[in-house]
Amino acid sequence: MEKLLEITNLKTSFFTHFGEVQAVRETTFSMDKGEVLGIVGESGSGKSVTALSIMRLVESPGKIVSGKIIFDGKDITGMTEKEMTEIRGQDIAMIFQDPMTSLNPVYTIRNQMVEVIRRHTDMSRKQALAKAEDMLRLVEIPEPKKRINSYPHEFSGGMKQRAMIATALSCDPKLLIADEPTTALDVTIQAQIIALMKNLKEKLSMSIIIITHDLGVIAEICSRIIVMYGGKIMEEGTSDEIFYEPQNPYTVGLHKSVPRMDSGDRKRLVPIAGSPPDLLSPPGGCPFSPRCPHTMEICLKEHPPKFNLSATHSSACWLLHPESPAVEGYRKGVQRNEG
Amino acid sequence: MKNYFLRRILSALFTIFLIATITFFLMKSVPGGPLTRERALSPEIEAVMIERYNLDAPILEQYFDYMKGLVTFNLGPSFAKIGLSVEELIWKGMPNSFKIGALSVLLIIILGIPIGIISALKQNKPIDYFVMFMATLGVTIPSFVLATGIIYIFAGKLGWIPSFGLNSPLSYIGPVVALSGYSLSFVARLTRSSMLEVLRQDYIRTARANGLRELSVIGKHAIKNALIPVITYIGPMIAAILTGSFVIEKIFAIPGIGRYFVESVTNRDYTVLLGITVFYAAFYVIMVLLVDVAYALVDPRIKFNK
Amino acid sequence: MDKKNWEIVDPSRLTENEAYRPSLTYWQDAWRRLKKNIGAMIGLAGVVLMLLFGFLGPQFTDFSYSDQNLDYSNLPPRLSIYKLDEDLWVYLSNDYKLLRVTEKGKLIERIERPAELNPRAVIDKKYIFVYGDEEITVDFSYAKRYNDTGEGYRFTIIYRGTTHIEPDKKVGNRVYPFGTDKVGRDLLTRVMYGARISLIVAFIATLVSFFIGVIYGAVSGYEGGKIDNFMMRIVDIINSIPLILLVILLMVMFERGGLWTIIIALGAVYWVGMARLVRGQALSLKNQEFVLAAITLGVSKRKIISRHLIPNAMGPILVSMTMMIPSAVFTESFLSFIGLGVSAPMASWGTLANESLPALTTYPYQLFFPAGAIAITMLAFNFVGDGLRDALDPRLRKG
Repeated sequence: MEKLLEITNLKTSFFTHFGEVQAVRETTFSMDKGEVLGIVGESGSGKSVTALSIMRLVESPGKIVSGKIIFDGKDITGMTEKEMTEIRGQDIAMIFQDPMTSLNPVYTIRNQMVEVIRRHTDMSRKQALAKAEDMLRLVEIPEPKKRINSYPHEFSGGMKQRAMIATALSCDPKLLIADEPTTALDVTIQAQIIALMKNLKEKLSMSIIIITHDLGVIAEICSRIIVMYGGKIMEEGTSDEIFYEPQNPYTVGLHKSVPRMDSGDRKRLVPIAGSPPDLLSPPGGCPFSPRCPHTMEICLKEHPPKFNLSATHSSACWLLHPESPAVEGYRKGVQRNEG
Repeated sequence: MKNYFLRRILSALFTIFLIATITFFLMKSVPGGPLTRERALSPEIEAVMIERYNLDAPILEQYFDYMKGLVTFNLGPSFAKIGLSVEELIWKGMPNSFKIGALSVLLIIILGIPIGIISALKQNKPIDYFVMFMATLGVTIPSFVLATGIIYIFAGKLGWIPSFGLNSPLSYIGPVVALSGYSLSFVARLTRSSMLEVLRQDYIRTARANGLRELSVIGKHAIKNALIPVITYIGPMIAAILTGSFVIEKIFAIPGIGRYFVESVTNRDYTVLLGITVFYAAFYVIMVLLVDVAYALVDPRIKFNK
Repeated sequence: MDKKNWEIVDPSRLTENEAYRPSLTYWQDAWRRLKKNIGAMIGLAGVVLMLLFGFLGPQFTDFSYSDQNLDYSNLPPRLSIYKLDEDLWVYLSNDYKLLRVTEKGKLIERIERPAELNPRAVIDKKYIFVYGDEEITVDFSYAKRYNDTGEGYRFTIIYRGTTHIEPDKKVGNRVYPFGTDKVGRDLLTRVMYGARISLIVAFIATLVSFFIGVIYGAVSGYEGGKIDNFMMRIVDIINSIPLILLVILLMVMFERGGLWTIIIALGAVYWVGMARLVRGQALSLKNQEFVLAAITLGVSKRKIISRHLIPNAMGPILVSMTMMIPSAVFTESFLSFIGLGVSAPMASWGTLANESLPALTTYPYQLFFPAGAIAITMLAFNFVGDGLRDALDPRLRKG
């Protein structure tokens, strides 16, 4: 498979009055063309900042400190702002969490969509309008010819998110980043939007990164999942591996805190105790150590390396180290050679 | 939509009527009435005045006369400027007041808004600090201090501009700057903070994520949203300019409505006071009405059925 | 690797490093944040200084606000003095009064200008003063040329045959640090009294509008429905004309300008803004659980408004009051400036500024001090208000 995106040692920080907030720390991952990658984590885990870093949209006082982002063979981190505006919307498109506030309230949908299409193509106004209507039809907005003249406030939340998706896809991007695309929506609408994205993925054969805190959202659609915590990748693997064979206490904790229909047994939901780490002064070792049920001495001292469990599955946890005490459910992995 | 405008116009008319009524009875409740001032008129003239303007009639009759006069813009005589009627005074003063008022509004809009936007785009840079410092001074220095300061420095010490009247283009500078100083600073501050707020909005991030050029992100997507709160300030701005004109016209000796108004206050010239107050109130109500209409046109979220 | 590395850590050790912030009440938290705001602290210091200046200051000056001394009228804060003799320093005022001063700028006496020696002074353009046995001649025949061309000098002082053209020294006025006005009243004392009057007017008028506005707004918001509609309609109508017009009308109606008239006129008009604010707060608060709980428990309307609604809306109310004070200072000075203020010999800053107008170009300092005092006060209150708003804004409540 051809690599679409390769991120190496990405570090993004926010330089606030109180000090450097390390939102993303030394993160490395890659994705193939046509893949649907999920990034999961709670708020503050660095997943959104990772996405914004790919778009080069991290806002001041935030900054990409180091690392490489290779998209389609080109290094994004070295590009000028002008080159970036050509990439954004055209090659990489992004949709955001809150469709209510993500569309400009004082312009019609038509105005906003036509502007984006004409920005990246040399279509005439008329062609762009036709394309915009097609896109609205594609995202299943009824009567697109009529609705395209509406203002955002005349749309419902789900419709707005559809319009957002339509705009994002209107220039046939190679990669769509969806940052919590369903969080602000009603549950029934959430399912519709996910179904729509699944459908579009097949139709348009693009790659998608879905960022969410909700494991349920990505189960159906993602082929591969990355679990982030405290600005670091904790575990990555195929959907099946992450769902049925989690090898990181944080992933396990996430599973326990989400209701499951398929498990059959009537387990109680167990929240993860404590709160996410303070990224101003992150814990020295594993970021999850203060909340982990299996914390060992070494967890406090040193960040765990990645342990490979299969060709696709790896996890950063000391429990997988051959010398660690056996804990039920965790296998011993092979320490991966970083570098 | 038509209904909305119609309702707004009717309610504005009602407000003007109410203000005229209240002002009339307030004035009539002043002990002694208009003719017992310190410098009383001679008995003959007083008799003629009373006869001519029906001042000894029952108060209700006077009220109806007055309201009739309002509709036909016939506001009675001035008791301090003998031989002049109130509407003549207003007509005489209006061109001058209008000129400096309109110029001030123009200055506020073409300077205040761009300054605020630039300041927001250069947040926490020296130019931003400078603009904010000046604007803070501008909203804390009263207009009469600004006006006298301008006269003292630019007319007196430096002699660049005339210190009174409106006889040359240069002579407009003093009054217009003094009159717009406060609102200009306020608009700059308001535009800046509104712009900063808008730049944090999700739809600006969306615009950037869609690869729009910075020119469009700022010039199209941010500015229109940022101007919405600025439009709401136009009402208070007109009020500030109206009341500001009282002292500015007095200090720069400009024969405008504001100066006549202040003189009528000092002379206790009740008919002029009453007439100009109602005139000002009506003017203000109409301007606010226009602003509301403009607002409804700019912001599609305004619903017309309210 | 070290065996110890693989020991399970006792869970109690994991939480001990978690930072505990002491829990603070709303007001403690706000105060903590206000203290961090340098601008607000400078503003607060300015307010306190201005209060001390106005209320304690007059204790330390030698004059009352109405003490006149025509001999010492229109004296500037800085004196250009001439050394006529070893211990004879004089100051010549703009209206040709000759004052004997010390080298340090203390006023001693006015030097007599006997009428019998100056029968034709205006024609000769020469004044003759008598100091002891000696005559001092002031020749101001140059003044015309000076005024026309702006060059040279305006007058000469001749004493014992020596002609003095240039002042020998500029010293601060030791008796009247801010100078005097046209009837020789001490400007420092008058600016202090002005501070007192302006601040009293501003504080009480703000309090008046606070009481009216809070009660009106809370009742309107809490009652809701028709009552709210009607009450807000009245507010809208009052608000639909520039408030200052109303204040002027009320002032004219009361006839006699005075401290209380201004306070009442200001308070009677400016409550509408407060009423709107409190109504908005009451509307949103009344549906919150703690108010619903109180209603369910049968707490009386009065108590719900006074115990639950108003205290919880206190943050925005306080900010709005801090902002209302400078605008009241401004309005008061504005009214005084157009001749509707406190009556003589009392004086607010606006009155002082107004009095300085006729002779502005000759005696600019008479405007400078009251105007400066107004600007400093407005600035100080604005800083405090801005700081308070930031400190009380719940959206920013963290960190």
